[in-house]
Amino acid sequence: MLQMIDFPSVMWTSERTLRFAFHQEISQQNFLAVNQFNQFIHKIFRNNMIETVPGYFTVTAFLKKRLPIDIAQLESEWREFQLAFNDDISLISRVVRIPVCYDEEFALDMERVMEFTKLSYEEIVSIHTSTPYAVHLIGFLPGFPYLGGLDPRLHVPRLQTPRKQIEASSVGIGGYQTGIYPIESPGGWNIIGRTPYKLFDVTRENPTLLQTGNRVAFYSITKQEFNKINQESV
Amino acid sequence: MKPLLKIIRQGVYTSLQDSGRFGYRAIGIPVSGVMDRYSFEMGNKILNNAPNTVCLEIFNGGFEAEALSDHTYVITGADGDFFINDVQLYGWKSFSLCKGDRLKIKGSHNGSIFYVIPQGGVATESILQSRSTYPFARIGEEITQGRTLYGHELEQTQFVRGLMPIHRPRFDYIVQVRIFKGPHFDHFTPASRDRLSHSTFQYTGGNRMGYFFKGEKLNLIENREIISEATQFGTIQVPPNGNPIVLMADAQTVGGYPIIGTVHEDDLFKVAQLRTFNKIQFRLMED
Repeated sequence: MLQMIDFPSVMWTSERTLRFAFHQEISQQNFLAVNQFNQFIHKIFRNNMIETVPGYFTVTAFLKKRLPIDIAQLESEWREFQLAFNDDISLISRVVRIPVCYDEEFALDMERVMEFTKLSYEEIVSIHTSTPYAVHLIGFLPGFPYLGGLDPRLHVPRLQTPRKQIEASSVGIGGYQTGIYPIESPGGWNIIGRTPYKLFDVTRENPTLLQTGNRVAFYSITKQEFNKINQESV
Repeated sequence: MKPLLKIIRQGVYTSLQDSGRFGYRAIGIPVSGVMDRYSFEMGNKILNNAPNTVCLEIFNGGFEAEALSDHTYVITGADGDFFINDVQLYGWKSFSLCKGDRLKIKGSHNGSIFYVIPQGGVATESILQSRSTYPFARIGEEITQGRTLYGHELEQTQFVRGLMPIHRPRFDYIVQVRIFKGPHFDHFTPASRDRLSHSTFQYTGGNRMGYFFKGEKLNLIENREIISEATQFGTIQVPPNGNPIVLMADAQTVGGYPIIGTVHEDDLFKVAQLRTFNKIQFRLMED
């Protein structure tokens, strides 16, 4: 059954920046709406577009020049787009499987997380790897994924004092979110593991491992496996 | 390629910049590029360079370099004390350095950012379609002491070319900039909205990522959490302390603080050229 997504609210936030906003919340519904709308907006503006930044509930379009916007026209095109989109294969977003080593060498804040959640190490790993997470947006650092859908049992507040340096590829929990640090940087999230994968590499054609709209599934690996993958990827 | 300059003292936040890296914001890579687009574009025009030529961007001075070959340059941006060896030099006019000359930029008077532009630009590798440096993610070449900058082998201009003073930008003690309403404008108290466009804010410091301002506090009606969304060069964020931050050329691509407005892109060079303790007035545009 086809459910139509309402047209988002529109505002110019700068001379050439158009912001489209759905209902302000972090939800699965918005995740799908934003993805679909992002594709729509690329199609509509085509050569007039520099780029878009999809967010939790927004799509921000950076245009080459200011254009007159006919909302009624856009609304009707959006309806048509959705009708055509429904059978489209791109509705099924890519799932990226990411190995994580939860070994104590990498899991700097595991004890803090255990204490706060009253869960065992095994339970934390099992919950963290149990469901795929939606990549709602990428930002803060190049390739840093804001992942939605963290089990509420693993919600742990950020550190009171952020660390000056967190190693690249560290996996963390910050409040209701989980994520991976793509490059070495300061940060306040609880670090519970590390992946041998590189999330950001400017020398690659696609510099980031993840894109908005992907889903991420973590799976647990041992330190031996971590070292093996790490060597292979060098 | 030919060697142009050897860096003796790198100065403050010195970096190589062009007009920016577009097309990668959705994966979290900032646009970067020059802070003062006007001075950059005019400088390239003076030398007849292609519009997107790479230049050296320097904050406040403290810069010294040795010429490794004969070449033509121009300095634009802030007013400052420039010297070839110990002879004073003027901005906004092309000049030539001979092999062995020392180029010095001591300090700035009006404005705070300089552009040192060689004829033909600085030769550096393009990464993700831009030659701008974003040191935070180790994108591009870092300017450090002892580094050699290369340029292009070109027929050197024989005439001095410059920009008439009336066309040069003025960097005032108090600047007025036009702003658009931000997505969270209505989350602020009526008094704060009024203060935004009728009071004066003082620049207290910053870098290529953001400039910090202080003034009468901008308060939200209720302290509610904002969901992160796209930001850009010019975005005016208000953290819980009520003092606005204007995001600059290396602006992070998304932010979680309430956005009260965005500075008009044609006025961003005025913000960029502020000196510490200079003042700014935001003028809300009617739409």
